[in-house]
Amino acid sequence: MTRDDSTTPALISRRRVLAGGALAGVAAFLAACGGTKPLATAAPTDAPATSAPTAAAASASAAPTATAAPAATPSAELNWANWTYYMDVDPNDTNKHPTLDKFTAKYGTKVNYSEIIDDNETFFGTIQPALQGGADTGWDIITMTDWMAAKLIRLGWVEQLNTANMPNFTANLIDTYKGVNWDPAGDHHAPWQSGMTGLGFDPAKTGQLDSLTSLFTADPRWIGKVDFLSEMRDAVGLTMLKLGLDPANPTRATCDQAVAELMKAKTAKIIRAFKGNAYAEDLKSGNVVLVMAWSGDMVQVLTDKPGMKFVVAKEGGMLWTDNNMIPKGAVHKGTAEMLIDWYYQPAIAAEVEAYVNYICPCKGAAEVLKATNPDVANNPLIFPPADILARLHIFGGLSEADETYFNQQFATVTGKG
Amino acid sequence: MGTLLKRHRWIAPVALLTPGVLWLLVFYLYPAIQMLLSSFWSGSLETGFTFSFDNYTNYTKALASYAPIYGRSIMYAGAATVLTFLIAYPLAYTIAFRGGRFKNLLLFLIVAPFFTSFLLRTMSWTILLSDDSPILRVIHMLPGVTPDFRLLQTPIAVISGITYAFLPFMTLPVYVAVEKIDFRLVEAARDLYAGPWRPGGAIVGFIVGGGLASVLGIAFQWDFVITGIAGAVTGAAIGWFFISESFVRVTFPLSVPGVFAGSLLTFIPAIGDYVNAEILGNPDTTMIGNVIQNKFLTQNDYPAASALSFMLMAGVLVVVAIYARILGTEELSASAGRM
Repeated sequence: MTRDDSTTPALISRRRVLAGGALAGVAAFLAACGGTKPLATAAPTDAPATSAPTAAAASASAAPTATAAPAATPSAELNWANWTYYMDVDPNDTNKHPTLDKFTAKYGTKVNYSEIIDDNETFFGTIQPALQGGADTGWDIITMTDWMAAKLIRLGWVEQLNTANMPNFTANLIDTYKGVNWDPAGDHHAPWQSGMTGLGFDPAKTGQLDSLTSLFTADPRWIGKVDFLSEMRDAVGLTMLKLGLDPANPTRATCDQAVAELMKAKTAKIIRAFKGNAYAEDLKSGNVVLVMAWSGDMVQVLTDKPGMKFVVAKEGGMLWTDNNMIPKGAVHKGTAEMLIDWYYQPAIAAEVEAYVNYICPCKGAAEVLKATNPDVANNPLIFPPADILARLHIFGGLSEADETYFNQQFATVTGKG
Repeated sequence: MGTLLKRHRWIAPVALLTPGVLWLLVFYLYPAIQMLLSSFWSGSLETGFTFSFDNYTNYTKALASYAPIYGRSIMYAGAATVLTFLIAYPLAYTIAFRGGRFKNLLLFLIVAPFFTSFLLRTMSWTILLSDDSPILRVIHMLPGVTPDFRLLQTPIAVISGITYAFLPFMTLPVYVAVEKIDFRLVEAARDLYAGPWRPGGAIVGFIVGGGLASVLGIAFQWDFVITGIAGAVTGAAIGWFFISESFVRVTFPLSVPGVFAGSLLTFIPAIGDYVNAEILGNPDTTMIGNVIQNKFLTQNDYPAASALSFMLMAGVLVVVAIYARILGTEELSASAGRM
């Protein structure tokens, strides 16, 4: 096989089986296609042209040289588990992802890119047995939200990134993302896309709003027509901000205060339901007029219903990020680092951003888009201006015991605990 | 081959039983035992779990915290079962006795919703019941309905959703039971002066309708006197016209096995259902399935989740045993044999 960090070669076949099974239904199966000239602007540690194997010959020719520098030779394939609609697609063929195709063309590898994650916990459930047993999960890159990333790192189930081989990542990661308390050195995770959590509302029904207090006020204009997010960190985080507490340093005491506040809003019948993305449909159909909302969804809602509004409240908003990580025991670690780094080239990041409409963690992408796609570049929901960025908070990491406590307390409000 | 099977008569039954038994062993018994074991665990995902019988407190704690939610699940599943019965019985009866050449088409129409995914059907209810939907607009025109009245994210929506989802599970067994009834028995009853039983039918309808409506009224905190009276009057009217003595004495008793099977097929999955409560409900209408799901996936509290699941399973078994006792399993198997 490849020279990648396969400390457990016996598990390779198992990995294949697992990956094959997981991919069967949904895989975007990308063969390396020639012809496209790769963007070479700030390319990392190029493999020498001669040693870049074709996808077909890779498994045979890439076998030797354990002495080579870790990222010198890409492996024959790479398995990436991501969320849905999280990658640019070719307008003519939705199975093609141009930025990925450029990567495969440049390095002669094959990326099995699967958008199979739609819930952190459910996906965690699928990889947890392998990680617990010290086996390879079948994935080389997994994309998980901050708190789940924190949990995986805390459990020791994430490989350390060899940042020396990731020049773009080191140079272009926006500073806001650095120094989180669950990965202080920043060498276990690389932010992929972010979103803001704020207020979404229909100004025609509610008037202009700019304060989180409105979520907790029994105003006849919106009582019973308010959706809260079912994601604990967003609902509790915004409530903490409303109370003037710091969600970046959550404690059991502040959790209790926030839960009590949520309970009051529920008892006062202000809250209609706790929802995931479904709040967007509720808002569009008029079932609710005020919601806790994610910026990415609201880009879509605003396209369909331009009258709606999204604001980051004056008390602040939450910033959450989905992060690329290499799970422990991944077979193609070196190539995974190359791919993660690939997306920290401003031109590549810009291309992704123009499609996915979330917040980009890569410096310089906005400048690229100003020329190519000014609508995206000037959209404050995708490239929030500095004054909004300054009001955003990242929910702090929790110990396992605290996480259980927070989830239990929150479940008492949602009626599930 | 033939002689072999004749000489060893045990081969055929064993061969026929093996796949089913293996299937149940692997996919039912093993997980059930695993669940029972993990309900006696303590610990967490990170520290690891340890087994001890001292952890029976998982059960007492879970029961203490979630008894009201069990109660709510039983109430919703029970209400849905009664509603499916009230809708399915006339439906099955009519198809069986009056369906004529449309019988197969009508049966197909009952099963037709199954051609769409369960989840999609439930999601589409959110459109049907949304605050601005035609249904709601009509309801809002009725006198006495307040402007903030809504259906979506209420107990009514959850129970209606469950009723809709499991309606075919009630209709089909009842249909099978009614369809097998020898109509000559009904004719014989009429020959023996079983006539249209208007006062009796009205009384039966009055009691059933009134009782049902008041239970619903209490559950939804409506004015239960008014709803009770309305239900009783409606029931009496229906009973006056539709319940005959031959139905009460012949047809219905003969269809009881179908009702029994149908209500089990409805009640058991309904009590564990969490999709309807998740999509159509609100924080005050969660069922035990939602709690178990949250415990397993969000809180990673496998012991509590297992204890809750096991109690649900045990509880359903007890309910079924009592139910079978009341309706009489002997009569059930006897009438099944007659079919």
